[in-house]
Amino acid sequence: MDMVLALVLLPIIASFLVLLVPLGRAQYVVSGVVLAMLSGIAFALYTSMGLLTFQLSYTMNLAIIVVDVALLLFFLYQGKLFNHPKVMLLAAIQLVLYGYIESIASEAGSAEIVVDSLSKFMFLIINGVGGIIVLYSVKYMEDEPTSPLKKRLFVGGLLVFLSVMNLIVIANSILLFFFLFEMTTLASYLLIAFRNDEVSRANALKALWMNQIGGVVILLGALVAIIGFKSVMFDTLLQSSGGMVLFAIALLSMAALVKGASIPFEGWLLGAMVAPTPVSAMLHSATMVKIAPYLILKLAPALAVSMVGGLISIIGALVFVAASYLALSRSVLKEILGYSTVALLGLMMALAAIGSEESMNLAMALMLFHALSKALLFLSAGVLERLHHAKDIEDMKGMVTRSPKTVGFILFGFVSLTLPPFGLFMAKLFAISSIASLLKEHPFNLIILLSLIIGSALMVLLYFKVASALLSAPSDVRASEAVTIPSGFYVPLVLLSFLIVTGALGYVMMQHNIFIVLLALPMLLVFALPSLIRRMDRYDRTQPYHCGEKEPFDAALVYYEPSNKVQLLLYWSFGILFVAVAMVGALS
Amino acid sequence: MMWVWIVLAPILGGLVYGGERVLRARMQRRLGPPILQPFYDMFKLLDKRTLIVHAPHALLAVAHFAVLWFTVAAIFLGWNLLYIIFLHLFAQLLLIVAGYSVRSAYSHVGANRELLMVVAYEPILILVAVGLYLVSGSFEISEILKSGGYLMQLPLLFAALLMIVPIKVKKSPFDVGEAHQEIVGGVEVEYSGVFYEFLYMSRFLEYIFIYSFVYLFGGQSHWLGALLVAGVFLLVNLVDNATARVRPAQMIKIIYTVAMTLAVLNLTGVLL
Amino acid sequence: MKFFSSFRKKSPWVLHYNAGSCNGCDIEILASLAPKYDLERFGVINTGNPKQSDIFLVTGPVTYRSRERLVELYSQIPEPKVVVAVGSCTATGGVFRGMYNVEDGIDRYIPVDVYVPGCAASPQLIIDAIVKALEVLEAKSKEIEKPFKLFGAIETIHNKLSRLNMATKVEPHAKD
Repeated sequence: MDMVLALVLLPIIASFLVLLVPLGRAQYVVSGVVLAMLSGIAFALYTSMGLLTFQLSYTMNLAIIVVDVALLLFFLYQGKLFNHPKVMLLAAIQLVLYGYIESIASEAGSAEIVVDSLSKFMFLIINGVGGIIVLYSVKYMEDEPTSPLKKRLFVGGLLVFLSVMNLIVIANSILLFFFLFEMTTLASYLLIAFRNDEVSRANALKALWMNQIGGVVILLGALVAIIGFKSVMFDTLLQSSGGMVLFAIALLSMAALVKGASIPFEGWLLGAMVAPTPVSAMLHSATMVKIAPYLILKLAPALAVSMVGGLISIIGALVFVAASYLALSRSVLKEILGYSTVALLGLMMALAAIGSEESMNLAMALMLFHALSKALLFLSAGVLERLHHAKDIEDMKGMVTRSPKTVGFILFGFVSLTLPPFGLFMAKLFAISSIASLLKEHPFNLIILLSLIIGSALMVLLYFKVASALLSAPSDVRASEAVTIPSGFYVPLVLLSFLIVTGALGYVMMQHNIFIVLLALPMLLVFALPSLIRRMDRYDRTQPYHCGEKEPFDAALVYYEPSNKVQLLLYWSFGILFVAVAMVGALS
Repeated sequence: MMWVWIVLAPILGGLVYGGERVLRARMQRRLGPPILQPFYDMFKLLDKRTLIVHAPHALLAVAHFAVLWFTVAAIFLGWNLLYIIFLHLFAQLLLIVAGYSVRSAYSHVGANRELLMVVAYEPILILVAVGLYLVSGSFEISEILKSGGYLMQLPLLFAALLMIVPIKVKKSPFDVGEAHQEIVGGVEVEYSGVFYEFLYMSRFLEYIFIYSFVYLFGGQSHWLGALLVAGVFLLVNLVDNATARVRPAQMIKIIYTVAMTLAVLNLTGVLL
Repeated sequence: MKFFSSFRKKSPWVLHYNAGSCNGCDIEILASLAPKYDLERFGVINTGNPKQSDIFLVTGPVTYRSRERLVELYSQIPEPKVVVAVGSCTATGGVFRGMYNVEDGIDRYIPVDVYVPGCAASPQLIIDAIVKALEVLEAKSKEIEKPFKLFGAIETIHNKLSRLNMATKVEPHAKD
């Protein structure tokens, strides 16, 4: 239990240190040490056995209530300050609901903190990937045009956020979960608005009200849970049976859909891409949005055999296809990565909601590998933003000559999301075989299978279309124009790549299947190719073929824009499906 | 014993390709080249002075060929069908990245179109694998070849497979990737000499890849499998000589509306 | 190797280029690939791509606009290569000899191996020319063949032989 406490307190201590320590090398040391310690503790916890529980004292509970109310009042104030009626309305609704629930809630000796194997797994992701992103953010902030205090506050804020995330995955009480959920919303709001311009402020408010819908739904779920079983604990909820259980769980899953930015809520995630890149990497791909599949995994035992679970699977699978398709029309690199995050989160939620042990393991594997690969991609996008001021893929044409290593990392990130033997691909492969084996008893899983297959093909199209802009290089007889990557950026990228490779090897070895290991051979072969480049020097170099013309030119990038009618149809149908979750829950 | 077949796979594919050129020529009432023509081409290409645009472009072609050969070896050894489909996807993506790596408009357009082709045929191939799994109980090729009755239970799926065979063997109406008269060969345009030979041989291996899927529908009866392969071979060449090329967007639309519907109908039929 | 070079005549791939021709010879070339005359039985493929061809079939007296492209395409064909000049325009300028806009034949620019007379050259002559070209091809070495005019440079940069500038551009309206 002390280790868990350390995981929660250490980032907070580190954030204070970051505020005090001078900018420069000392900051790197602090974040490096924090990364090492947090990862070590998380790994030690993961390998330890046993369930840990902890009960909060009366004063702690009181403190939480006070801070929660203050938080909701802060949201109300922000809504008033920026004249945003939706924010104000939702904050008011939350205050009323929260007040009512606290007044009727009465706990009798249940532990509000439970650390089970799912929490320990999440610790690995949060602290490992989160720590690396914090290390990266120190370098990223160097060139940010703000005051030194704000730079320190940014890094400190990310560390405090790590602590909140560590707490949220051990919360057993729905009300504690709600409090931490709203704290992550607050972190989103403050960090998106960091650059303090009009666009950032508007997008931060959009993120705020959309996430508040999630908060409202959690409170409704808690209300139903109290009315049904007089308890707001997750474990009691999952062990009970009866009609109200599914209703409460349906409402909680709706919160997961909001936090995971499923369509029609993906607007807040895409708007969040105006924030500095470490925010996009940490909050909006690697850690915070993972709360969505985490929540579905937690509720999976009850979702597994119910209509609600089936509906959530179908929504997740359809989001996977729709988001991959919608990404084909975007040109800002971070928005493309954001859409693919939405898509993969949908897939994770779909697999988690199927509820069989195999699919839950696959959802967890997907979470881990997606966090690693997406963090790598976002951090590389941040390097391109800093070194070459390129945010749009139209500006990144031929980037491989200017920044071969960064393009290499981006290509590696794309490959690790789509090709064997990397973890995410393997998880998708096993998902296909596992869903196929479930088809005989549950034919509706055919929809999920189809969406998985089509979505994967669309993702391949998406990633390699983006790669096309980066990769085209003229003849290699020119002098190299490459810019070196500063080590403050390079080290986190190398760490993440190393983790992806070790994770892939580990996952492959875990399967105890020789054929899967043989599946890794082609990739090894491809990695051995660069050693042959020297031998190619004896061949003549010539011009590409342009019908005899001497002007070099590339084809333009292709975008596939869905028509307005299609977009409207998509949003309305997903909106209806979202509301249907609650209704199906109520009817169960 | 299997190793002999694996090593000889490109040669086998070459004979099939040579025979195909003769068949097409005879359909057009002309003589056509000798059957060993692909091998004459191969030796001639080995004798050219090598010109490349840049080293990674050339090496990726070699990698594409090697991974594709590995995939064909996997088919002959009877592995899991899903692994084979994704190994093949890997090989195709190597070629696509090679196409994107040069500053050539034709290469880029060709690679774009190859990606669209992947989006078109990949789901259908996986659905074929799932269909074969539902009937035989396993994804392994060695198991699938031990039971039978696929054609009886999966006729619509077979029809869907027939629709994507032209995409893989680069024949009309779906040969948008190569599109000789439009984009001068697409991804292959910057390759010459020995590196073009690798792409040429990859073509043979693609033939073996896709016709293996057709062969699997024969199940335990080798004669039925061989008959199906011969029939599909004739049909694909007939359709090639008779139709024109469609636009890439039309190809996706046709595959998704017709082939996907057929596949899904068949699968729901099997499940219910 | 002697073994490989014996296959050069078994698989001649053709690049057909029109350097300002009236299209008459082009039609005859396409006719010889069609079912009646069927060049494909010799293994001939009409590739549109210089990097994959051995025989450069050129028609037309060289016009101003086409001379750079002629030399550029010629430089992109890997050795061993032969040039077959189809039609009397490519040899002497044909009916356009002495005009202000033509260069009176391609052999001022690139070395020609076989000339095909005729206006337009008939398919039988074209087939005969290709067969003769194959005999020439078999004897050729793999040394780089340079064009006579508009020749830039073959340079070694970073240990690599670069043919990128083998064909130069011309100034507009320059007479050379």
